Amino acid sequence: MPADTRPVPEMQYATLEQQGETAQFGIWVFLTQETIFFGALIFTYFLYRITYPHEFAAAAKDAVLWCGSLNFVILVTSSLTMVLSINAAAQDARPNRMVRWLIVTVVLGFLFLIVKGYEYYLDFQDRVVPVLDFVAKPGEGSAGELFWVFYWVATGLHAIHLTIGIGLVLYMLLWRIRRGEITPAYYAPLEVVGIYWSFVDTVWLFLYPCIYLVGRS
Amino acid sequence: MSTTTFEGVPTVGPSAAIEPSFLTSENTIGSWLFTRDHKRIALLFFASITFYFFVGGAAATLMRLNLATPEGLLQPAVYNRMFTMHGIIMVWFFLIPSIPTTFGNFFIPMMIGARDLAFPRVNLLSWYVFNLSGLVVLFSLVMGGADTGWTFYVPLSTVYANGYVLAAALAVFINGFSSIMTALNFVVTIHRMRAPGMTWMRLPLFVWAIYAVSVVMLTATPVLAMDTFLLAVERFIGIGLFDIQHGADAILWQHMFWFYSHPAVYIMILPSMGVASEIIPVFARRPIFGYAGMTIALMSIAILSFFVWAHHMFVAGISIYSGVFFSLMTFFVAVPSAIKVFNWTVSLHKGRISFDAPMLYALGFVLLFTLGGVTGLMLATLAVDVDLHGTYFVVAHFHYIMVGATVSAFFGALHYWWPKMTGRLYPEMWARSAAILMYVGFNLTFFPQFVLGYLGMPRRSYTYPPEWQSWNVLSSAGASILAIAYLLPLLYLGWSIFWGRKAGPNPWRATGLEWATPSPPPTHNFEETPVVSLGPYSYDPEDDTFIDQEGVSHAR
Amino acid sequence: MTMGPEVDARRASALPFVIAWIVILLTAGISAWTAFLGLGIWAPVIQFGIALFQTALLFVLFMRLKGAPSLKWVFAVSGFFWLMFLYGLSMTDYSNRQSWPPAQASTRSQLQVDQDHR
Repeated sequence: MPADTRPVPEMQYATLEQQGETAQFGIWVFLTQETIFFGALIFTYFLYRITYPHEFAAAAKDAVLWCGSLNFVILVTSSLTMVLSINAAAQDARPNRMVRWLIVTVVLGFLFLIVKGYEYYLDFQDRVVPVLDFVAKPGEGSAGELFWVFYWVATGLHAIHLTIGIGLVLYMLLWRIRRGEITPAYYAPLEVVGIYWSFVDTVWLFLYPCIYLVGRS
Repeated sequence: MSTTTFEGVPTVGPSAAIEPSFLTSENTIGSWLFTRDHKRIALLFFASITFYFFVGGAAATLMRLNLATPEGLLQPAVYNRMFTMHGIIMVWFFLIPSIPTTFGNFFIPMMIGARDLAFPRVNLLSWYVFNLSGLVVLFSLVMGGADTGWTFYVPLSTVYANGYVLAAALAVFINGFSSIMTALNFVVTIHRMRAPGMTWMRLPLFVWAIYAVSVVMLTATPVLAMDTFLLAVERFIGIGLFDIQHGADAILWQHMFWFYSHPAVYIMILPSMGVASEIIPVFARRPIFGYAGMTIALMSIAILSFFVWAHHMFVAGISIYSGVFFSLMTFFVAVPSAIKVFNWTVSLHKGRISFDAPMLYALGFVLLFTLGGVTGLMLATLAVDVDLHGTYFVVAHFHYIMVGATVSAFFGALHYWWPKMTGRLYPEMWARSAAILMYVGFNLTFFPQFVLGYLGMPRRSYTYPPEWQSWNVLSSAGASILAIAYLLPLLYLGWSIFWGRKAGPNPWRATGLEWATPSPPPTHNFEETPVVSLGPYSYDPEDDTFIDQEGVSHAR
Repeated sequence: MTMGPEVDARRASALPFVIAWIVILLTAGISAWTAFLGLGIWAPVIQFGIALFQTALLFVLFMRLKGAPSLKWVFAVSGFFWLMFLYGLSMTDYSNRQSWPPAQASTRSQLQVDQDHR
């Protein structure tokens, strides 16, 4: 499909611009509820950390700082590559640059999951897995296990959201872009995926100090 | 429905259909199950919630049969499962979706002059997710049901309960996504898809109400989602964030639950308020009194509803100062509701009132809502709540609102919009009789429960001291009348689909944009996008004329 | 808004985003460093403040809120705003409830914890 052939807006939209703007508005409305979803989880963390600061500090010593920090770098970089791919979608007549940055984004996403998987393996070795293999460390008391329940629930939910994001990017690459539907004339679906992706990154911005920066002094 | 029944153009009215109606344009099952048409999706939801209404109603029937005598009918453990499943199914599978997914889906695009919602496929997905959650809850029910009460308090639900709590909690979790998708669609549509000239202050109040409801759904449901998710985790693995053995707080579960569930009760009432604001002007032939005040009241109720949740927890063990704060805020949230009741009442003044079935339901709504609301204020009073919490007074209070008010408004909307949706008129005398029967049956069922609560009868109990039997018998008798009043519309509305008189585009002579289309409407709603120049409700009772929102005057 | 970096995808260069990326990484490094300084209660305050700042950068630049219609800003912010209701109003209970925190949890001995896990 030539790059200047504009797709037809859906029946309920007057113009393609309205459709694209509305799609972006829609994802922001969706993110409102995602913020509250994760924020509610972090509220439980907030309550228990201010109630049991010493126990949390003792329990969090086993959090693998290098994994968390490496994943931080990976995820923020993937937000950058996602943005660069959208710029390319908007500016380039041909999809090559966009596709390259999207592939890098997907690779970084998978890299995050691999590092996270390895970190989970290390967590098993440190025996911080509630129910399956948990040993309370000195000074942790019984409240310290709350930290680790939070850790597994929060990172698990985050990983699920990231996997969905990877799926969306792959859908863009293998379906929409391959059929030539993402062009400078209309790239709103990619922007929507990009906004979702950066939000998954935002969640990690908060999980990082929650999990990895506790009790290090 | 075969094509021969609805074929062709409505016989009455000036606007002949250029395309076939949405009901008959395609007739395959696939065209219904994979539709993107908001009107068809509304009918799909209608079928689903009606089904769950009767499932929840069956549980209620068993409960009232059991409570007709102190000896009861059911085993205590079974009774516990009955009231739990009744609550879960009625709240999440009937009341919360009721008006938004049926009349909201059908009429929001039409009222704002759009051809569909912003995201039609998300709308269809919402229905499928709803039914998925329904399958999970039916699984829980069929396997014996949960027995924790619809409020799932921990540690009963996580540690000690014997029923199918995990399935029930997961059903609620999945159901939340359906709510969120619907709400997102409405918020985006109302912001961005209004026809030219349809400014915010020209929107019908039903649209404002659905907007307010959608904001509440969007911001409250994620907290419930997290709460039920954490509940499921703790139930499944045996340790979690509410585990008192590890120093966690069981009451934290309640805080997060009620942070959603109190706004949820406003999710259940706000659309009904929108319906009342639509029906009353039409049948009093007068504009609603205080349109701007009504919109402010709707948005105030939506916001304030987030500040009152711990009034469900006054005796749960929260700090007394916290209780004082939440009690005060609960008094505040009653104010905009009261303003609305005053405005509905004043809207009748000097009107040209006719008592068609929709109006009977709407007036019943106002009266029952007032009684329920006033008793809510009683419960908001800390000292009084200490005695009334956990009694039938609370049960009566919330049934007055959720059943008396919301279900009345639902039936009012059903009758009001029936001609538009189906192109048929229902038999009016049957409908008025059913409305009156419902009002009588409802009051007979639930007013005795106020008395029982005052006398001290606890809720969620399969038995009671024999001296309270007469009140319980009255309540159960009322319930049987109520059941008839609910079944009657099924019969005569079903009859009307095949043999009812055909309806024109505007049988009620109403001003909204939805009445400017044929009955039933074509798939794309409007041939040309309407251009709006007026607000809603431009009725003149003096000479019984009205002006529709496009500025066209209509004589007697 | 005509000041500040261009974020519209049709005209934006990579530079403002790369700079923002560097800033986020640097501030994350600072955040991690504060964890080792023994700042007590101030460490999480600084760290979450930095997280909020990083979120603002992501929202405004990467997610292109800059120059967007104010309605998007409203929804972007309202999630955080609504959380204030949950946090703040819940703390009206926890901050002065007599039975919170439960006294025994943090002082239980390791032995007792081990026994519970058997």
